[in-house]
Amino acid sequence: MKKSISAAVVAFAIAIAAPAAAANQAAERYVDQNANAAINALSTADLAIREARFRDLFRQFADLQSLSSFVLGPQGAAALRADPALNREWQAAFLDYAAAVYETQLDRFRGNEIKVVASVDRVPDKDIIVTTEITPRGSTKPVMVKWRILRRGEGWKVLDVAIADGGNELWLAQQQKRDFAPILGPRGDVRALIGKLKEQTAQMRAQLAR
Amino acid sequence: MRVMLAAAALMAGVVGEAHAQEGTNDPFEPVNRVVFGFNAVVDRIAIEPIARGYRAITPRPVRTGVSNVLHNLRGPVIFFNDVLQGEPGRAGTTAVRFGLNSTVGVVGIFDVADAAGFERHDEDFGQTLGTWGVGSGPYLVLPLLGPSNLRDTVGRIGDAGLDPLTYVDFRDDEIFRGARVGLTILSTRESLIEVIDQIRQTAVDPYVTTRTGYTLARESQIRNGVTDLDSLPDFEEAPELDLQSEETPATPLVEQPSTTQEDPTAQDLLS
Repeated sequence: MKKSISAAVVAFAIAIAAPAAAANQAAERYVDQNANAAINALSTADLAIREARFRDLFRQFADLQSLSSFVLGPQGAAALRADPALNREWQAAFLDYAAAVYETQLDRFRGNEIKVVASVDRVPDKDIIVTTEITPRGSTKPVMVKWRILRRGEGWKVLDVAIADGGNELWLAQQQKRDFAPILGPRGDVRALIGKLKEQTAQMRAQLAR
Repeated sequence: MRVMLAAAALMAGVVGEAHAQEGTNDPFEPVNRVVFGFNAVVDRIAIEPIARGYRAITPRPVRTGVSNVLHNLRGPVIFFNDVLQGEPGRAGTTAVRFGLNSTVGVVGIFDVADAAGFERHDEDFGQTLGTWGVGSGPYLVLPLLGPSNLRDTVGRIGDAGLDPLTYVDFRDDEIFRGARVGLTILSTRESLIEVIDQIRQTAVDPYVTTRTGYTLARESQIRNGVTDLDSLPDFEEAPELDLQSEETPATPLVEQPSTTQEDPTAQDLLS
């Protein structure tokens, strides 16, 4: 009797655990493929092709709409909802800026491979943190990069990335939200932020071209 | 990272208009920005060129050895903070690391403990106060020392009190202490050359980015770098917007994979 109860408990545990494990595998595979594709894209010699490839990957890998709305905070997001033209202008500026930021930040990993080491469910099958490792160029110590991915429809999208180094982790979208807040001001001045981001993107592009 | 972000404040500053920001405790922002600008100038004319020169003339193993010795000297401070935070396991690791690296590792030059599985970590009294529930207090930019807050500034004094080398008198001890401070600044700044360059390139306002980075990093360090799943923000799903309609169509480099195993890999699509 005891044995059959144990077997039933084990069977039940497997039944409820299996979908979560499968979801994690799919999430891990998604990060593995796309993160490595992004790193590989950085090795493209032609700068214009490299920029286009990376930008396209970023657009497909990340949930740009949710991300660009999140970093504005509630005031800025409300301004976007009220003005579709502003929304379009903002998302285009943010895509250019964010792609350039990621291109700059990931450049030190160019030529190396990202390896998935673990994943944890925040919400099973919906909100997962995938931990990867990659060694920067000229270093022997790998750095941990965490990817927060959320289910969007039938697939996954990246919402935030953290570089965990030296006993701490900094989530980029959270940092950007705080960084943008003083420019947006209390009234959520999205146009002021668009101007700043365009300026900064041009500087980053000039730097990447050197 | 604490030192890294401290050094980050030495980078070039763009002094913009100050805005009150929700959730940011920076009542001294005007003064902090002036100090940030001062630190940036000192960095540009003195610290950064010396750090780049140090990198140019020393091989990597030498720089690693210097960094290891400096970290090993902090061993007792890290140990006491581990204990004060009620972390016996981490305190044990620190004690073993200090013993092994000071002896087998030749006064800490070689991090043999890391190779033996005793992983390096850092602690300070500011973090200890944080684990005790002490709030960060207002954000401060300290002359030459960079970003901090009231709690971490008090923590620096606490760390000096916990460091046995503060109380030891020996021949030329003042020279030793001065050299330790100088080498710490040099070694830290050298290790941060790329990080600070990156902030300079990407930050819309380096003062704000440094403040945000410092604040978030300290919160993370107090949790020993463990992801707090409950504190991660929720992302509202925003409606799709077709940005491509006004642009050149994007090359489909990576298909959106589903949860099945039959998807082509991104590498396949790129090749």
